[in-house]
Amino acid sequence: MTHTRAATRTVSRFAALTAVLAAGVSLYALPAAAQGEIRVAWYGGNWGEAFRTCVAEPFTKATGVRVVPEIGTSTVTFAKLQQQKDAPTLDVAYMDGGISEMAQAAGVLEAIDPTGVPNLAKALPEAIYKADKSIFAVGSGYYSLGLTYNTKEIKTPPTSWNDLWKPEFADTVTIPSPANSSGVPFVMFLNRMWGNPPGDLSKTFEKLKTLKTALYFDSSGAASNAYQSGEAIIGAHFNVGAWDLADKGLPIGFAVPKEGVWATDARLHLVKNAPHKADAQRFIDTALTPEASACLAEKLYLGPAVQGVSVSPDVERKLPWGVGGSVKNLQLFNWADINRDRAAITDAWNRELARQ
Amino acid sequence: MSAAMNRALPLLAAPVAFFAAFFAVPMIVVVSSSLMAGGVPSLGNYARVLFDQYHWDVLAATFRIAGLTTVACALLGYPLAYYLVRVVKSRALRRTCVILLVLPLFTSNIVRSFGWMVLLGRNGLVNDALVGVGILDRPMRFLGTELGIVIGLVYILLPFIVLAVGNALAAVDPALEDASSDLGATPFDTFRTVTFPLCLPGLMSGIVMVFTLAVSAYVTPALLSGGKITVFPMLIFQQYSTVFDVNYGGALSITLLVMTLVLVGLAGWIGNAGASATGRKAQ
Repeated sequence: MTHTRAATRTVSRFAALTAVLAAGVSLYALPAAAQGEIRVAWYGGNWGEAFRTCVAEPFTKATGVRVVPEIGTSTVTFAKLQQQKDAPTLDVAYMDGGISEMAQAAGVLEAIDPTGVPNLAKALPEAIYKADKSIFAVGSGYYSLGLTYNTKEIKTPPTSWNDLWKPEFADTVTIPSPANSSGVPFVMFLNRMWGNPPGDLSKTFEKLKTLKTALYFDSSGAASNAYQSGEAIIGAHFNVGAWDLADKGLPIGFAVPKEGVWATDARLHLVKNAPHKADAQRFIDTALTPEASACLAEKLYLGPAVQGVSVSPDVERKLPWGVGGSVKNLQLFNWADINRDRAAITDAWNRELARQ
Repeated sequence: MSAAMNRALPLLAAPVAFFAAFFAVPMIVVVSSSLMAGGVPSLGNYARVLFDQYHWDVLAATFRIAGLTTVACALLGYPLAYYLVRVVKSRALRRTCVILLVLPLFTSNIVRSFGWMVLLGRNGLVNDALVGVGILDRPMRFLGTELGIVIGLVYILLPFIVLAVGNALAAVDPALEDASSDLGATPFDTFRTVTFPLCLPGLMSGIVMVFTLAVSAYVTPALLSGGKITVFPMLIFQQYSTVFDVNYGGALSITLLVMTLVLVGLAGWIGNAGASATGRKAQ
């Protein structure tokens, strides 16, 4: 008797579960069947979340087209684009500066046409990237590598990159290694800052050798971890990562030193022979609205790459250029130069710094 | 014979296809790319790797770290396996111990290495404890040292050697040990001449596994070195992920593979020679 009852209960529970599953599946499948979808490559973690909230959701709301994210770093996305060159499944790809130029050179990008993406007119002139007179990428927001410090240990905010060499900070400094996308450009940035000739980095490496570091970070996560644990109390970090730590209540400050900051951006690309080109263009158009930019500024502190964006004062001071700055204050290097010297700088770094 | 072969062939097709697609093909791609420089076939990449003292220094550091890791894993893992198989009598307790041993494998290496970064840091638990107890006057540097990397690798690789040795120990027939002590051998002699040689193959396979995994480890050394020590997999990763020189990266990969195979082969040969020598002595 009890046995039968238990069996009945199991059956009904199973039926309920199936019903829920079926409902879930149909909810998931219906809009796709009715309206179609596009595939967009973007990054993981809070970046991907922000792109979903700020761009994908408004886009789906306006068009009914579902956005299927493909999560990966810029490098991974670039590798995917090369593999699927003949039959792409991706429509739009977010990639960082540097990788963006490589993708252009590899011929996996379609020109972004202002008639298909009218909001291009709103983009800052610096954020439009052209090769052979056609637009291969458009900026979606800037981020910078600034001076980050522990506000509990350091009371007066540092004002210069040279402060890292102060004796009181010995063995507590962190800067990016070439395994990080900012590593090679940071060396070039210091080289320019110290007035050394662009083609000769030997003096810069001599100076870097005298920097007493706790660690060289290879990922943004490793940098956050070092500041959080107190392993590093001063050094370089991205404004996105540093303010994220500060927002979590940690004693972390971010300063734009007098020599300025190196910066780059996350960019939007239209994939060559994208299966859903019209919708892909509309997606890029949505991403270039002031609303989407403001939303990304609020969530990630990405500096807007379109005109007419207004954000709250608290968000404004956390943007990559700091208080009262603009894109003009960012040192945006030509990625072609960086990519050309990348192998040599990485090799010099390995030999000079990455060995005890 | 041929009928049996015919029946076995379709069964073999799946693993062979899998092996070809996910091992042979990528390997061929890496080898062939390593033999190209500037679009033409060339041995230039290998010359660049082999005729440069820097690479030999990095290779030495890589093998030193892997060697120390292997020794530490063997010294810690063997007694642990012995304890689990021979000393723990309760099945439930043994099962719990094995689960505790294997459980960390379910967490990503990245997360576990981050954990060690926190523990081994200047203000980390390990330094706090050592200073608190009075062993150290002030915090010791672990991050950015070979010791720190070895600690992280031993923690990650220990289960492999314990499981290999444990299986070998469990397979040793207790009658052989009984016979040895009946014939008047002390427990230590029995262990030295009977038990230990019998589980040597298990220990060797554990050692080879740990060594090859330690040589090829990327995440743990990359995080725990703080970028101040370079091991070979870090050079390879750099070429593939940031410099995008797959030709040079391929040559680095093949160099590491060949050197590791040579070392493992050498160790196996020495192990065999040693085993047959003790075998002869026992006779």
